[in-house]
Amino acid sequence: MATVTLDNLHKAYGETVVLDGVNVEVASGEYIVLVGPSGCGKSTLLRCIAGLETITAGELCIGGKRANERAPRDRGVAMVFQSYALYPHMTVRDNMAFALKVAKVSKKERYAQVDEAAALLELTPLLDRLPGQLSGGQRQRVAMGRAIVRRPDVFLFDEPLSNLDPALRGHMRVELKRMHRRLGATIVHVTHDQVEALTLADRIVVLDKGQVQQVGSPRDLFERPANVFVATFIGAPAMNLLPVIGEGETCRLEGLEQALPVSGTGAFTLGLRPSDMFLADSGIPGVVDVIESLGSEAMVHVTVGAHDVVVRAEEPVQVNSGDVVHLKLSTVHRFDGTTGRRLE
Amino acid sequence: MRAPSWVRVMLVHLVLLVVTVAALYPVLWVLKMALTPGQSFAVDPWPIPQTVTFENFAHVINTETSEGGWLFGRQLFNSLVISLSTAAVGLALSTSAAYALSRFKFVGKEAGMGAFLITQMFPGVVMLIPLYLLLDTMNLLDNLLGLVFVYATTSVPFSVWTLKGYFDTLPRELEEAAMMDGASRWQTFTQVVLPLATPALAVTGLFSFMTAWNEFILATTLVSKPEQFTLPIVLQRYVNDYNAEWGHFAAGAILVSLPVVALFFALQRYFVEGLTAGSVKG
Amino acid sequence: MTALLLLLATASASEVTVWHSYSGAEQAALEQVADDWESTHPDDRVSLVALPFGGFDTKVDTAIPRGNGPDLFIAAHGNVAKWVLEGVIEPWTSDTTGIAPVGLDAFTVDEQLWGLPIATKSLVLLYDPSRIASPPQTTDELIAMARAETADGHYGLAYQAADPYFHAPWMHAFGAVAIDDDGTVSLDGDAQVQSFAFARRLAVDEGIAPTQPTGELVSRLYEDGDVTFVISGPWFTADLSRPVAAAPFPMVSETGLPARPYLTVDGIYQAKGAPSPELAQDLAWAIASAHGAQTRQDVGGQAVTWTATTGASPLVQTLRTQAETAIPMPTHPDISAVWEAQAYALRRVMRGSASPERAGREAQARFEQLQQKDVVEVSRSPYIAAFGVLLLGLVGMLVVRLRNPELRNELAATKWDYFWIGPAALAMIALVVTPFVLGAAVSLYAYQGGEWTFVGLSHFSDILLSRDFPITSPMSFFYTLAVTILWTVTNLTLHVSIGVALALVLREPWIRMRGMWRALLILPWAVPNYITALIWKSMFHAQYGAINKLLAIVTPGPGPVEFDWFAQFSTSFAANLATNTWLGFPFMMVVTLGALQAIPKDLEEAAEVDGAGYLTRLRHVVWPLLRPALLPAILLGSVWTFNMFNVVYLVSSGEPDGSTEILISEAYRWAFSRNNQYGYAAAYAVLIFGVLLVYSRAANRLVGRKVL
Repeated sequence: MATVTLDNLHKAYGETVVLDGVNVEVASGEYIVLVGPSGCGKSTLLRCIAGLETITAGELCIGGKRANERAPRDRGVAMVFQSYALYPHMTVRDNMAFALKVAKVSKKERYAQVDEAAALLELTPLLDRLPGQLSGGQRQRVAMGRAIVRRPDVFLFDEPLSNLDPALRGHMRVELKRMHRRLGATIVHVTHDQVEALTLADRIVVLDKGQVQQVGSPRDLFERPANVFVATFIGAPAMNLLPVIGEGETCRLEGLEQALPVSGTGAFTLGLRPSDMFLADSGIPGVVDVIESLGSEAMVHVTVGAHDVVVRAEEPVQVNSGDVVHLKLSTVHRFDGTTGRRLE
Repeated sequence: MRAPSWVRVMLVHLVLLVVTVAALYPVLWVLKMALTPGQSFAVDPWPIPQTVTFENFAHVINTETSEGGWLFGRQLFNSLVISLSTAAVGLALSTSAAYALSRFKFVGKEAGMGAFLITQMFPGVVMLIPLYLLLDTMNLLDNLLGLVFVYATTSVPFSVWTLKGYFDTLPRELEEAAMMDGASRWQTFTQVVLPLATPALAVTGLFSFMTAWNEFILATTLVSKPEQFTLPIVLQRYVNDYNAEWGHFAAGAILVSLPVVALFFALQRYFVEGLTAGSVKG
Repeated sequence: MTALLLLLATASASEVTVWHSYSGAEQAALEQVADDWESTHPDDRVSLVALPFGGFDTKVDTAIPRGNGPDLFIAAHGNVAKWVLEGVIEPWTSDTTGIAPVGLDAFTVDEQLWGLPIATKSLVLLYDPSRIASPPQTTDELIAMARAETADGHYGLAYQAADPYFHAPWMHAFGAVAIDDDGTVSLDGDAQVQSFAFARRLAVDEGIAPTQPTGELVSRLYEDGDVTFVISGPWFTADLSRPVAAAPFPMVSETGLPARPYLTVDGIYQAKGAPSPELAQDLAWAIASAHGAQTRQDVGGQAVTWTATTGASPLVQTLRTQAETAIPMPTHPDISAVWEAQAYALRRVMRGSASPERAGREAQARFEQLQQKDVVEVSRSPYIAAFGVLLLGLVGMLVVRLRNPELRNELAATKWDYFWIGPAALAMIALVVTPFVLGAAVSLYAYQGGEWTFVGLSHFSDILLSRDFPITSPMSFFYTLAVTILWTVTNLTLHVSIGVALALVLREPWIRMRGMWRALLILPWAVPNYITALIWKSMFHAQYGAINKLLAIVTPGPGPVEFDWFAQFSTSFAANLATNTWLGFPFMMVVTLGALQAIPKDLEEAAEVDGAGYLTRLRHVVWPLLRPALLPAILLGSVWTFNMFNVVYLVSSGEPDGSTEILISEAYRWAFSRNNQYGYAAAYAVLIFGVLLVYSRAANRLVGRKVL
């Protein structure tokens, strides 16, 4: 197992800057999830660690040693690709054994290692099949198995679950967590799915526009988002953001006569998670617009002033579309109106 | 999509039949000449022979050398050796070049690709004599190896073009996976890329084979020993300015075409895939 | 020790290599003579190499000066003067006693003998002895007899009237010659014109001869008993199963002079630099004289020049008689230009597209165009200077670019990539680029009589300013360029439309046995194209071609269709086009089939749901997706078609009057007929390359991406 350190990493294609000074330290045995919208540079970052992309500036250390110039095979990393990238002309066994074959491990030895990994991933009955004869979930496991067989210091996962159907994805998340515990490996996992990030990560790195927005535990990110971007990206449904003007103990929302019971001064952005509000008999008035039922709970869209606010409510919900309701707030987040940074 | 009415189905099949018959007509004619006794040119438009004999084939196959050796066998062997070697050398030269042009980003890559295609525009007429002089300098005249080199290089541009197009369509992630698995560029190429490029390799291999198999102008100029002659040279001798042994020519033509036709049918399933990729990507 | 080695060297078996282009009985006879010689020379071996007739002269020209030639080669006397000039042959200095003087004359240049004559060949009058008792003495008799013989499907006379070689007997009888000893040519002279008129009457107006006969057709007619008189040579009888009688040519009634054919003398040449000249001469003499001559006469049916053979067949006897009056084929360097011009005139006269007078004038004009002009040597220094400046500029540019540190970094980072492309690039440079550059360099020189003269860019200026030909003449570069462009465009249009149409049909799921249709339809591609071209040429024959026979079935009215496909540009061009379309559509079909697979079915289904009919779907959904996939194949195909030599050369051969020639076949004619004007041909080749280069750049720009 090894640490991975990214020190002021830059990556540019000509004039286009993809990574703009990324600093991350991954501890040995840590499960790190890189999350961000598409085009944020997370896959490029992963490929830089893998050695599939050259690093424009900055330093990458794996296991404490500079790795910028090392060839992929000399970095002690294994990668699982989004498309799995299984060799279509090789059986599952040969796919998994390929790395050992090019490392000139004896045939007996490499098949023994493959058998071991296959048993772990319940792939044993599939060993003689070709990738084309496997289901999506099976391919995903073969791709994992191929990475495991190499016994790398660091695993790199590039959206490994995105090609699976939702049910299987949930199952594989649990599998990944279990695997991480068993192997105790350092894992860098890239995803755009914040649920995946929240459930799997020891720590999450939120990336946007090539820059790290926040690094922290899932709890940290959820409870103390560093900026508006993280606040809206983490948590579902997304945090409600309302532009308000503070008047000391209260603040004002455009289109609403009644002041909000939130202290503050000047213009700032008020962040309200749907779960941090509840419907009450009195409080901030609004009109129910739409109700989305999710079974045990519902998301109630309430028009407050000129804004749409989503509130979580326990089912059965007693209100109907068009009713006038009142909201009470529990936790609030404040962000700078111009920079978007969190205000304490 | 819905099937059209049976009238249209029949009509389209009829048109297809007419076109196919037209396409096969000259071939059937050659077959008729080969099977008809005598050396005259078939005049009857009906392409089915009235009397069938294999004497023309027997004559062509049984031609002997002045020393009584089996000439046809010898020349068939030469043709096979040269054509197979041409396919092998041609592929060896063009696959790595095509891969580099598809994947690497080196200085002058664009110009390199252009240069390969530009050679397709060279008119062959003026190259014959310089080629002779060059091979002479390299001591490769009257040498099957020389012929193989010339044919193989002739086939390189088209092969590079086809193969590059095919490589372009292969997902890069497979190669990246191989690199992550510790394979070198070369191992990736030989163990992952080439097995996946089978259709394109089959097609380009076949075309290189055909380049050598059907060629006679260079073969006549660059080789002067009968024991090194290829089949088309022999065929050429049946029809010249003074006399035309059409029966023998036709039988020879069929014997020469047969292996290529067989290869065409055998490799047919690769054609569509192997050729198009090249053309789609350019 | 040295002496011993020397002894060993001389005693060890040596081999004498002989090149020839004999086939059939003549080849068999030669092999037998060689065997006999070997049995008397137990230490030595003869290696007989039968080369294809077509490439023989070129091979002699290239191989011998480089020391790769044979010891001896057997060829007609036609090139003797040229070979003397080029220095590829040795004079014959040994005894020639017993060889007929007519043969020796043919091989004498500047009072020196340059080859050992072994056999003569000339045309004679051949006839069917079962129909004719005694041969005609005059042409009037011949015509009368032939007229009597002509009746439905049976002809009185058949010969290749439009070929100058076959026309020569009449030409001589009217007192004309192809070329004087001093090189004067008058194809528009009275005698020449009268001979054209006579030939026209004999071969066309009398209605006794088939139209457009080729050599093989004449043989076939005779073989089938469909013709009584034939004008041909000894080769005619080789594979004949029916009896044939021979007679010397009759006297031409109009002039009272005998018709005198050309005499071709086959001889043995000793190649310069033969390793063992004495042995080679010994073999040559064995072939030419006594037993060898007898064998060649008896087994090979040759009219040998050895006077002392016995038991000659009547045919051989006739050939020998004819040889006495025959006129040796001229060896003047300009003769091939005369042939071409005269053939042009004869074709025009036979077709009736020009009167004998006009055809004569045109032929004379054409000869003067084809005739090698006097070569003016040009100083090399300005060219060397320009080349030096260019080279310096290139090197300078390279140095400037290489000093750019960014480029150098990039080069250093990617240096290993070059190993991947290296072998192919080196092979291409060595065996494709170098020959082309060398060949192109030849365009700065003129080749005449074995000598190269530096003429600078004058070939280019002659061609581009159309200095030798009017711009509308089929001989001009621009005319041929226009034809070539038309050729390329029409071909590609047909290849693509047929290929795409078939692919569209073959992808429909309701087509039965799709695999079979596809397999059968790509068959034309698998057959070597020179075979295809020869077959198609014969299919277009006016009288015996399958195309006309098929037309006769579908056109109303009785009687055969004898449409002459090669008589006018449009149909001759169409014949080429048909052949090449047949060859070319399968490639486009296969490419289209593949490209169609890449078009998602749901797009079309969506269009169908939207109410689009089949044609609308094709136009708005399929074609826009197909086009980008087909473009590269179309562009590459156009380059191939532009240089498609085999089809044009073998099918129409440029007929009529060189009008269907394309640039590449025209270049070939300059290089390998028309006195081997290599330099002029090379200039053509460079221009072809230039045109294609401009075309490809323009095409890339037009398409908006780099496809070619």
